[in-house]
Amino acid sequence: MPEIKVTPLGAGQDVGRSCILVSIGGKNIMLDCGMHMGYNDDRRFPDFSYITQNGRLTDFLDCVIISHFHLDHCGALPYMSEMVGYDGPIYMTHPTKAICPILLEDFRKITVDKKGETNFFTSQMIKDCMKKVIPLNLHQTVQVDDELEIKAYYAGHVLGAAMVHIKVGSESVVYTGDYNMTPDRHLGAAWIDKCRPDILISESTYATTIRDSKRCRERDFLKKVHESIERGGKVLIPVFALGRAQELCILLETFWERMNLKAPIYFSTGLTEKANHYYKLFITWTNQKIRKTFVQRNMFEFKHIKAFDRSYADNPGPMVVFATPGMLHAGQSLQIFKKWAGNEKNMVIMPGYCVQGTIGHKILNGQRKLEMEGRATLDVKLQVEYMSFSAHADAKGIMQLIRMAEPRNMLLVHGEAVKMEFLKGKIEQEFSIDCYMPANGETTTVTTNPSVPVDISLNLLKREMALGGPLPDPKKPRTMHGTLIMKENSLKLVSSEQALKELGLNEHQLRFTCHVQLQDPHSDADTLHRIYTHLKSVLKGYTIQHLPDGTVIVESIVIKVSSSAEDSNTKVLLLSWSYQVKTWTLFLERFVIIYSFKCSEQQQDRELIDIQWGGKKIH
Amino acid sequence: MEDAEFEDILDDWFIESLKTYKDLHVYQLEHPTQVLEWTSGKSVCVAGYSQSKNEILELRLPLKLLADENKSLCAERDFKVSHGGFTDGPVRCLTHIPGTRCAVTNDGLSSDLQVWDLGGEESDVIRRTGSIKGKRSASERGSRIAARPSSAPQVLHGAQISDVQLTELASGETLYKLETDSADPLSSLQFVSDTVFLAGCCNGSVYVADTRTSAPPQLSHSPSSDESVIWWTDAAAGPHPSSRRVIRVSSSGQAVVSDLRNLGGAGCQAQLDVQTPGRCSQVKVSWAPTLDDCISVSGFSGVVQIYNTCLWGAEPQEARPLFEHRGHAVSSQQTDDSVPTVVTSHIWHPERPRTLLSAASDGSVHVWDWVDPDRQGGSPTP
Repeated sequence: MPEIKVTPLGAGQDVGRSCILVSIGGKNIMLDCGMHMGYNDDRRFPDFSYITQNGRLTDFLDCVIISHFHLDHCGALPYMSEMVGYDGPIYMTHPTKAICPILLEDFRKITVDKKGETNFFTSQMIKDCMKKVIPLNLHQTVQVDDELEIKAYYAGHVLGAAMVHIKVGSESVVYTGDYNMTPDRHLGAAWIDKCRPDILISESTYATTIRDSKRCRERDFLKKVHESIERGGKVLIPVFALGRAQELCILLETFWERMNLKAPIYFSTGLTEKANHYYKLFITWTNQKIRKTFVQRNMFEFKHIKAFDRSYADNPGPMVVFATPGMLHAGQSLQIFKKWAGNEKNMVIMPGYCVQGTIGHKILNGQRKLEMEGRATLDVKLQVEYMSFSAHADAKGIMQLIRMAEPRNMLLVHGEAVKMEFLKGKIEQEFSIDCYMPANGETTTVTTNPSVPVDISLNLLKREMALGGPLPDPKKPRTMHGTLIMKENSLKLVSSEQALKELGLNEHQLRFTCHVQLQDPHSDADTLHRIYTHLKSVLKGYTIQHLPDGTVIVESIVIKVSSSAEDSNTKVLLLSWSYQVKTWTLFLERFVIIYSFKCSEQQQDRELIDIQWGGKKIH
Repeated sequence: MEDAEFEDILDDWFIESLKTYKDLHVYQLEHPTQVLEWTSGKSVCVAGYSQSKNEILELRLPLKLLADENKSLCAERDFKVSHGGFTDGPVRCLTHIPGTRCAVTNDGLSSDLQVWDLGGEESDVIRRTGSIKGKRSASERGSRIAARPSSAPQVLHGAQISDVQLTELASGETLYKLETDSADPLSSLQFVSDTVFLAGCCNGSVYVADTRTSAPPQLSHSPSSDESVIWWTDAAAGPHPSSRRVIRVSSSGQAVVSDLRNLGGAGCQAQLDVQTPGRCSQVKVSWAPTLDDCISVSGFSGVVQIYNTCLWGAEPQEARPLFEHRGHAVSSQQTDDSVPTVVTSHIWHPERPRTLLSAASDGSVHVWDWVDPDRQGGSPTP
């Protein structure tokens, strides 16, 4: 049976790195190649030994697809392509291709320079890796080779995030990556057509949550900023140029206007240049509102928000500053942090995840004393706030996506089976599809029912129509008989007569025969007549004929009676039927045998006799 | 900057909420719930009430809400669906049996009860384990259910006052029956001690009885002779019998507070400030577990109101609420504008003084920690 195999690489229950292998129609595809941010050793890389014990991966993979630029989806890509070895195509959307190398380089710097690690990819490796990337446009089918094609769909979540549709022949898989079903302030919602893939693969991490509204997250942000400003404190917001910076700026600007606040808000110029550049490049990836705004003016032209200058950090009084980089690991945001950390009236708001080894990560873990360069310690007295604005689908979102795509099977990765039984039951009940939940390192095999398109001869079609019955319906398959001729690349279904003619063969018929012995003292003709009468009375609705040549015909089954050579009281019934009516005859047989019992009632011996027919016991 | 675009986030209520709530969380369930029941200090049960199949969900409260010292370092704001199951009909009443992983429900169509296992560590599925036969196969409002606070799992239940019985869950045996002829339908049923319970009827009369005796119950007649009015009741679970008070609220907005030991006696009363008196079927009134004298009311509209009863006098006067949660009305997800959103249920957190959960007919569930207006502007509230 044709099947698709899916294996999430990794071990045990760990969540935090995405790297999934799919085998479909003889092709092997790697979906995402993420780094596990919680480990410091080789466990942070996916375990490629599943693909091959040693050596390069090029021969074993047909392509690699990356869904978006988050490190838990692309962090191990340079390691895989340059250190393990892969020279085949790597597919990702244009924005992902532009942004990935920046994040990877940042990440590399932190890991190697800050943490002093050695077994890590180099800057050159990142560059070499990106040379293998083939960018994708939305909704455009790309032929990876003669048989494998892929298409990207909009996923929301972050700029450039995509869901991918993979097709080989008539089998297909959709991988969601991370997606969001509700539109954002700067991104739209995920969308896919009713592509009916054999399998829809999705993360289960958020499938059992119900998300708090965006309004409340924003409320919390504004409340914290406002409280700090009111008490005269300074608020530092370290951001990544393409993260939530734009959104948070819009939010503060509107709030300041509404509340008539006077405290200054700044953003560092490096931030605005980069952001403007990328948004311009990828305007089609943002939502309607942003596009409208951008057409009218510069993205970062605000009434209340101004460009930052280093010297402003020493100004007295309240202020808010957006600065890069986002994890406080270097540059301007770190400089400002060092200046403001000692005052408890101040606040730092971390709007996203921070990688291990960064100051951001340390303070989010509650560290209040930090070791800086030259053995100096920094006392962290300011308020540290961790806020999450990332847009993910939740339990409701998964159901919405399934409704949109109409997959034949569902597969959830990165979850504990025991904690997802309810969701599995819910999906199975509502959509009547199977839901699989492989553990990391475990392979799930899904049998597919690919439809094979076949040409049918007009004669055969007309003949089938003439038989009557319900019209063809995709939901109610109808069996028909014909002969399949496979010539070169075509498949043709024709009537058996036509096939024989084309092949120049004579038709042969298979008939089965069986002898049944009966005790009956009457003449052959009488016995036959009694069988005929009996059958006519019990098998109403069937055509039963008693022919003058001494046979009884039930539909197309022939019955003849003759006497046994040794004993004229023993009659031998000959039953003959053609291949199609095999099961019918079993039915007929039983009546004959029961009848034979009736005849033998005269006998004193009323023991039940085991009767076998075709190896099967009939009472 | 186009203000109109961002009015959706900066409406008046939203701006006000920065000062009026310490915490605010807004969720959207796939299907609305009429029940909110604690199964622990950290989790609640909700369930659908559509005609056919529904879900029962046990939701764990967001970590950020529960974290006290490290609140600012916790970004987790979402509900976790820790357990879930399917029912064959609507769920109109759901009661958790304390000390167990067991819950009992009623579908509002008959007085039969369904018994559920909420599941533990090994499975996240809520399964039906049995049923308890009630007295009535068809009932307009269904049964009220109350779980006995201590001792082995037993439930008090009934659709009307004469049907009230105490059933032991394990054996299905009836341990007690309330002896009365009256057929008044019930609107509330609760234990006020391990053996004494209070049954509030829709007509406003209240019965108090002890499951240890077969003596007839104490009856306190309705505060009003108007038969068109429906009443709901709640008894405060104070530590001392003398502090046990009972409040009765009518569909016309009348509220009467009396002492449990002297229900007919003089207490205090008020005319509540409710927008649509008369047009409601799911009113809920509740004493605050830790705030003295405070009660909460919902079900008249899309608002939950909190009143301070110590401001009420012997004569019914118009009372102003101490606090109003208007979130459900203001940010309604209802698609049909002709049917206003109504709050279907609300509960207080058993320990956190000002934390409540409320649910509405549009499927929204809010968790909110309100700021006492009298203490606003001072030092941060505990």
